[in-house]
Amino acid sequence: MKVEATIGKNMQPLLRVENLVKRYAKRSLAGTPEEFLALDGVSFTVFPGTTLAVVGESGSGKSTLAACLACLESPTAGSIWFEGREIAKLEERASRQIRPQIQLIFQDPASSLNPRWSVMEVLAEPLILQRKFTREEIDRRISSLLERVGLSPDIVERSPTELSGGQRQRLAIARALALEPKLLILDEALSALDCSVQAQIANLLVELQGSLGMTYLFITHDLAMAAHLADEIAVMDRGRIVEQGQAQKILKQPEQETTRQLLAAVPRLTLAPPLLEQ
Amino acid sequence: MRYLLRRLGHALLLLAGVSVLTFLFTALAPGTYFDEMRMNPQIAPETIAALRAQYGLDKPLPLRYASWLSSLVHGEMGFSFAYNSPVAPLLLVRARNTLLLTITSTLLAWAIALPLGAWSAERMGRLPDRLLSWGTAMLLVIPDLALALGLLVLAVRSGWFPTGGMASVGFETLSPFNKLRDVALHMILPVTALVLSTLPLLFRHVRAAIADILDAPFLLAALGHGIPKRTLLYRYALPAAANPLISLFGFSIAMLLSGSLLIEVVMSWPGLGPLLLEAILARDLYVVIGGILFSTFFLVGGNLFADLLLYWADPRIRTESNAQ
Amino acid sequence: MKMQRALTRWLLALGALHGTVVCAGFFAPYDPAVQDRKYPYLPPMGVHLVDTQGHLHARPFVYQPKLRLGLFDQYEEDITDPRPVKFLPSGDYYRLLGLLSCRRHLFGAKNARIYLLGTDAYGRDQLSRLLFGGQVSLVAGLLGAGITLFIGLCIGAVAGYFGGWRDTLLMRLAELFMALPWLYLLFAIRAFLPLAVSPLKAFFLIIVVIGTVGWARPARLVRGVVLSAKERDFVRAARGFGATNGYLLRRHILPETSSVLLTQAAILIPQYVLAEMTLSFLGLGVPEPVPSWGNLLSSLQQYSVLISHWWMYLPAVAIVPFFLGYLGLASSLHERGAAYKIESRILGNLT
Repeated sequence: MKVEATIGKNMQPLLRVENLVKRYAKRSLAGTPEEFLALDGVSFTVFPGTTLAVVGESGSGKSTLAACLACLESPTAGSIWFEGREIAKLEERASRQIRPQIQLIFQDPASSLNPRWSVMEVLAEPLILQRKFTREEIDRRISSLLERVGLSPDIVERSPTELSGGQRQRLAIARALALEPKLLILDEALSALDCSVQAQIANLLVELQGSLGMTYLFITHDLAMAAHLADEIAVMDRGRIVEQGQAQKILKQPEQETTRQLLAAVPRLTLAPPLLEQ
Repeated sequence: MRYLLRRLGHALLLLAGVSVLTFLFTALAPGTYFDEMRMNPQIAPETIAALRAQYGLDKPLPLRYASWLSSLVHGEMGFSFAYNSPVAPLLLVRARNTLLLTITSTLLAWAIALPLGAWSAERMGRLPDRLLSWGTAMLLVIPDLALALGLLVLAVRSGWFPTGGMASVGFETLSPFNKLRDVALHMILPVTALVLSTLPLLFRHVRAAIADILDAPFLLAALGHGIPKRTLLYRYALPAAANPLISLFGFSIAMLLSGSLLIEVVMSWPGLGPLLLEAILARDLYVVIGGILFSTFFLVGGNLFADLLLYWADPRIRTESNAQ
Repeated sequence: MKMQRALTRWLLALGALHGTVVCAGFFAPYDPAVQDRKYPYLPPMGVHLVDTQGHLHARPFVYQPKLRLGLFDQYEEDITDPRPVKFLPSGDYYRLLGLLSCRRHLFGAKNARIYLLGTDAYGRDQLSRLLFGGQVSLVAGLLGAGITLFIGLCIGAVAGYFGGWRDTLLMRLAELFMALPWLYLLFAIRAFLPLAVSPLKAFFLIIVVIGTVGWARPARLVRGVVLSAKERDFVRAARGFGATNGYLLRRHILPETSSVLLTQAAILIPQYVLAEMTLSFLGLGVPEPVPSWGNLLSSLQQYSVLISHWWMYLPAVAIVPFFLGYLGLASSLHERGAAYKIESRILGNLT
């Protein structure tokens, strides 16, 4: 059970999103161009050192939100403030500066790590791209990263395809931490793992948050997992946030229909009445 | 209906683009039909200039394209310098001869490849299939040129078949039945060459398509319902494999005019191929353009036909395009 | 693993075949341009170990040919005149790999000429012409395929990676090129360029023409690979580390195209060799006296040659092992590529 983190409410928010809109246009040579509204005016705030969970069904716009926040896509309208700086409408070069500070962890670790590369190359990539580290520094950082996520240092020569799902996700987390980001966005990062492994990685994340003071944006469709890890929960449906608030409150007193449905979808173990009576 | 119109419009656009491209290619090339004449000291340069003016070769490119287009509309497709006649009738006669050859061999090849491919796919991995696969692989690797020449050598040394042309000397005097027989005899060699060169690939594709389908769960379910294997193969699997096969068929149609060039030349069959070659060597500009366009027409038409057939045959494509 | 072994076997086989052609000077007994006016259209010589008296010779030998009595174009073996075969003799000069000047050949005959595949109208050794002709045809195929794949890679990468109007424009262009009948276009382009050029110029001309006509299909395949690679998470992750477009293309996306390019190469090379052969056969390719597999066969267009000189057909047979090798290579590459995809599909589908 996650201990409620003490949040200083007069601290500056790390991330503030206001009325974010993202429209996709499907253009074809003949016929009318179609439009798809992925985000329809999303607003929320995240304070440093806390975890916000964004919960919703597939198609609710969660992944689009993640892409916009990580500066991988540009929103159609609205603003995003990161550490007080507006980052929604940056041009490519400035975006490249900001991106290392907001890292994305993907759902499928098999596809987020290049299978043709070795673990060493995978971990070194972000450091090499920043172009300010020597070879020794990179080696040093790689060992410390592996240690931090609980991976043995002798996997550096192996290929990611030889690792288990849990190991791969640890590797992805290690890689994300390489550039010391301020915000970590986890896009369904635990959904592809086995139950027991999920718990392990969740614990790792909690521990990292405690020791590094990481801020998490945790995107999932699993409300129970969100409650376990997050301070606040925002429920998304069709591009909008329909309910937002403290994790425990959402769980005990859901207001919207969407939230109730998500709650009902969580598998629960109930004991049959005859057994209980004994 | 909208789908049909869209594909048709697309095809017409493609043809127009090709015509412009071809015109550009050939018109920009150095050298014209009259270069040969220029070398001849007996012909005065004024005559040549006059001839060029007569055929409009000295006008700027867009104008020539425009006049060519108008001649196209009139059913002439430009003028042949070598034959001194409009291009279209020339092309049509030769195309007819080519089509005689290619339609026969395409039908034959498909008639052999379909049942053979299905039969082989059913026995995938076992001896008959392995033999067939190896045999067709062998055929595949033999280049068309080698096949055609090889058959020719065979024919010449055995004296069984006529070795060139479409008709024997004295064709005119034969009775209608004998005329047919004569042409058929002349066709044996080129048709064999064509079938042998197209069969292996066709066979492989049919076999692959059906093998893919044979893996499908719905067939297993049908088998579980007690449907006999032969019915399964021909009435269930084959239609399901229709999608890739129809595309293949469209490809066969597309190649109807252009796939037999080499074989026609080697076997002296009076088709589009030798005409084009001749025109190219003589720089008979409009015959070349017309010939290329004609075979492109078949190519594009074949693909369009395949698309339409696919639309009619595969309900998935219908729903997908109707949803758009 | 089994796939890798099959692939290696095909590569070795092809390597051996190509090696023979590359070292044509060594394997061929004579210079391909040397004429022997004494023996035009000589049929292939038989190599014997046992002579007509039943004696076994230590060395294989050939009989000197002589004209049949009363005829001027048919030969028979002069059984009174055996000439032994020499191994590793010193013969005509040639340049090994275009650099070293050598004289040593694999085999020859003592005081005689040995024509294993017969001679042509000018008395030139067909075997030597076959081997040297292979150099011309194979290089034409390889270079042409290289050009096509390079163009296809560039265009496909630009179209797939940048998308938008570039993609639409390039793919429409590709459609146009694919709609044209390839062989016809090849002929037309070649023929409308100057016909009477030096062999070297003609050689490079047809390579360029062949290479630039067929880029459309490889470009579409590359575009497909680039499109799907672009969306892979590891590419997005690299963008998240601040990677530029150039870096992404270079380190992540273009390596994904390697399997497609290799398979296309194995398919295109024999196609292009065949294109060169067809052009040369019809007189539009490499001209005399430079031998190429195509113009070696062009004499067969004459009826007289067809009837009386069947060995002129043999070069066509010699090409078959090469094409077989390429077919095997293409199949095993294709299987390997498909298997890799399945593997990543299994690994990727964890949900």
